Amino acid sequence: MNAISKFSINKKKRNWPKFLIILGAILLFLIILNIFVSPVRNYFFTISSAIQKTFWTAGTSSSGLISSLLKSGSLTKENEDLKKQNQNLLYQVAFLQSIEQGNRAQSDVSISCQNTGFQFVMAGVIGLDKDILSIGKGSVDGVSIGMPVINQQNVLVGKVFKVYKNFSDIMLISNKNSVINVKVQQQNIASEIIIVNPDGTTTTSTDPAPETVEIAGVIRGSGALSAYLDLIPVNSEINSDDVLVTSSLEKSFPKDLLVGKITQNIKNDQKPFQQAKISLFFDVKNADNVFVITNYKKDN
Amino acid sequence: MWKKIVPVIFIFYIFVLLQNSFFNHFSLFGVAPNLVFTLFFLLVFFSPSKLEVILLAVIAGFFIDIFSYTYVGPSIILLIILSILLKKVLSSLKNTAESYPFIYFLPLFVIFLLAYILLKDLYLYFLDPNKMVINLSLNIIYSLVYSSIFATAFFFIYKRWLKFTK
Repeated sequence: MNAISKFSINKKKRNWPKFLIILGAILLFLIILNIFVSPVRNYFFTISSAIQKTFWTAGTSSSGLISSLLKSGSLTKENEDLKKQNQNLLYQVAFLQSIEQGNRAQSDVSISCQNTGFQFVMAGVIGLDKDILSIGKGSVDGVSIGMPVINQQNVLVGKVFKVYKNFSDIMLISNKNSVINVKVQQQNIASEIIIVNPDGTTTTSTDPAPETVEIAGVIRGSGALSAYLDLIPVNSEINSDDVLVTSSLEKSFPKDLLVGKITQNIKNDQKPFQQAKISLFFDVKNADNVFVITNYKKDN
Repeated sequence: MWKKIVPVIFIFYIFVLLQNSFFNHFSLFGVAPNLVFTLFFLLVFFSPSKLEVILLAVIAGFFIDIFSYTYVGPSIILLIILSILLKKVLSSLKNTAESYPFIYFLPLFVIFLLAYILLKDLYLYFLDPNKMVINLSLNIIYSLVYSSIFATAFFFIYKRWLKFTK
């Protein structure tokens, strides 16, 4: 019995050096790997990008197919087209509101700068991991950290987070670490004017040029492709379907880019600010290409 | 063992690509299934060799880390720890590998996946230079449920395959 227990202790003792050697080898392997992580990762993405892009496209088409089977016939495509048209129109509304409210000349200059001055790099989407989107363009294509990324409808996607030689990682605005300054643009606010007539009676009429109200707030990413609106002053009135665009306070992104719309207002009297559930305009599932703005600087 | 490792590396590689691209289009409330962890857990669950278990953890962790934005290492270390822990738990159940029923597999899978998610979040918050914010939300439950569906399917396919190869 004693001999058996001695034997088992010896066996355990003999296992320790083996275990430490394996552990040491793994740690050494990890240290060496992390020294060369950038080229190694770039190599893996380069050899995988074609397969990954195929999987991504297959996912887009099969999810579209399944959803169209679940719904009916052409409804999905029609809905997509309408969404795109709607986003374009919303962009135009945001664009016009900005002109109306600010100094027209100044706005014209800044908007023309935004419309004509920006250079884009189109990049194909190849993968997504926890609100970090991988695209097939990297430092050799002129992409660098911090650059804003949008889609073709001028909807904000996020910003460049990591750059490798041939590909980059984009931190989506739904990422938990993402916080961006936005303004809430309320639509169709037709203020009523009460006119007191000489005979004492009152008549109401609608203001022909309604004043647009812009409320500042921030959008915080909550992960899993969702985000919420925060830091809206309690005295500000926000409604469902109000559109959110990037504000001029935001230095990482150009202003007036579409972000999303409010779906539900969450008002808590105990909190100094209001929050709201939002729906982001950028739909990663249907994104095949995005555009990196390469010449927008933080100091713009 | 080495004959088995080469196809396993290939399958892990395909799974990580599928997880990061194809299955993002079929996400449940924005959460995609964790296919690599599911396959890793299944193989460790049925593997009799300790060395093989560590090798599986290194391969699975390597692919998870190389296709993410963090350093290469955290997933490897976490998976090694979890695989050793799983083997300890399984040995305490005193069953032969092939007789493990599904009622052991699924609860253990959920517990170990939860542990992996939480430990990875802690790493990302405290040790990663990007300091990713921890946000304990319903997404974790969605991830557990969604991955469990795949784990269930993989379990029965793998058991059938084991019977077939014997």
